[in-house]
Amino acid sequence: MHLPLAYIDPGSGSLIIQVAIATLVSIPVIFRAQVARGVRAIRRDKGPATETMPRTDDPGHAG
Amino acid sequence: MTPATPAEVGSPTTTREGGSYRDPSGFVYRRDGVLYRQIAPSFAGDWDAFEASGLRARLVEEAILVGHEEAPLELAAAGPVHRVIRPEPIPFISYPYEWTFSQLKDAALLTLRAQVLALERGMTLKDASAYNVQFLGGRPILIDSLSFERATPGAPWVAYRQFCEHFLAPLALMSRVDIRLGALQRGYLDGIPLDLAARLLPGRTRFGLGLGAHIHLHARAQRRYADRPAGGDAAPGETDARGRMNPARQAALIDSLARTVRGLDWRPAGTEWADYAENTSYDDAATRAKEALVARSLEALGGGVVWDLGANTGRYSRIAADLGRAVIAFDSDPAAAERHYRTLRSEGRTDTLPLVMDLVDPSPAVGWSGSERHSLMERCDADVLLALALVHHLAIGRNVPLPMLASFLAELGAGLIIEFVPKQDAMVGRLLASRRDVFPDYTIEGFRAAFDGPFEVLDETPIDGTVRTLFRYRRRERAARGEAPGLSG
Repeated sequence: MHLPLAYIDPGSGSLIIQVAIATLVSIPVIFRAQVARGVRAIRRDKGPATETMPRTDDPGHAG
Repeated sequence: MTPATPAEVGSPTTTREGGSYRDPSGFVYRRDGVLYRQIAPSFAGDWDAFEASGLRARLVEEAILVGHEEAPLELAAAGPVHRVIRPEPIPFISYPYEWTFSQLKDAALLTLRAQVLALERGMTLKDASAYNVQFLGGRPILIDSLSFERATPGAPWVAYRQFCEHFLAPLALMSRVDIRLGALQRGYLDGIPLDLAARLLPGRTRFGLGLGAHIHLHARAQRRYADRPAGGDAAPGETDARGRMNPARQAALIDSLARTVRGLDWRPAGTEWADYAENTSYDDAATRAKEALVARSLEALGGGVVWDLGANTGRYSRIAADLGRAVIAFDSDPAAAERHYRTLRSEGRTDTLPLVMDLVDPSPAVGWSGSERHSLMERCDADVLLALALVHHLAIGRNVPLPMLASFLAELGAGLIIEFVPKQDAMVGRLLASRRDVFPDYTIEGFRAAFDGPFEVLDETPIDGTVRTLFRYRRRERAARGEAPGLSG
């Protein structure tokens, strides 16, 4: 993977810490997505009557 | 793709904007007074992807990015060209060091929203400069259509550092230390260094997830990896963070920055003038008389653009705006300007732009070759100046002699509505209470004599219920040249 050189200096430290911070702050997002997935699975097990709630979760953001 | 006959560089009608030199993707120039942006062939792939992805249309639809029209390639300024566009004009260019706290905050959130939309379409913001934001119709808007490029999957956000330096650091300092630290932006045009911000911020901010990470940890990482290329042992341009920024992490990073920005607040209270309008010594009848007189004076002078100098929270700006004028409302007090902006924003008004400006120290020309960011004087285009309850603050509070004040105002605008506040007024009494009166010429006669030089008086009316007088003037030089068709006298 090649990071295109930017016309501004992105800063080595800024890139490195950005990935660390992003990893950290994405944990709750992933956790919430997993919980939502579990809730969905439980509701499916309970039968079709409880399956009518529209879902707005974006799986692309769930990681 | 090259134009058939590009304009000659340096031709008298084509001038490149002083601040448009950093990004090789293109540049901004004026041709016969019209603003254009030339897009370089090297940026063709990204520009075409920007259009094809639907991102540009979405950003314009959401009023996040200014619209533009395609222009003929023959109008290019110089050199190889992919496209020439004519962006929607911004009536008045303002700078982050002139914005109120909430204006900077709204600009920050706008930038993050643009990045969210870009990521959803496989694009990314390649810069996050606060100078890419302007105010149009009362709301912030991005003006640099060339800020978006195709995203490299898994790559970190190259503008993360710039976002933190241009937005997060000044907002944090203004919110958590002192609102006056917004002035640091004037000295650090490339953004406030994060090590400086980290040093100035209270120690407890180290422990918050937002500022602790994006300012303090960020500053430490910058120091630690200062001498390393982005990829550690990798070749320049590669990064050991490669492949690690999946979409979830990218979204979480932007979400974290947005939460941090939203969490920064400032209550505009306790500074000098925020309550001034409410604390004046005159009753409602006198205030109404003054409002009516100001409205009549504005109607008499006509014009399209009014600069309200010392606007406070905008009581008289509103009168001008209600008459259909475009108003720039300056005040030196960040609290007053902030309250003004919040009121306008909550009402959805589009006709007034409040800015923080000390008229004794107006924004100078700064940046590369002194022409990157223009001085206030270079940007003045006012048809009418409104200077109410201002003279005594400058002439007595700041020792500006009346003839110098008159000359300064004549530089700014063609028409002038100005209130003379004599020494008998309680507000002047307060200014003189703790100092020697070294202003023997501060009388209505002295005022008339000072302003009679650069201006021709059109009207002089005492304000009922007060000891004050409202003057209506027309600038002599321009009147003599016959260049003020909007001024009907």
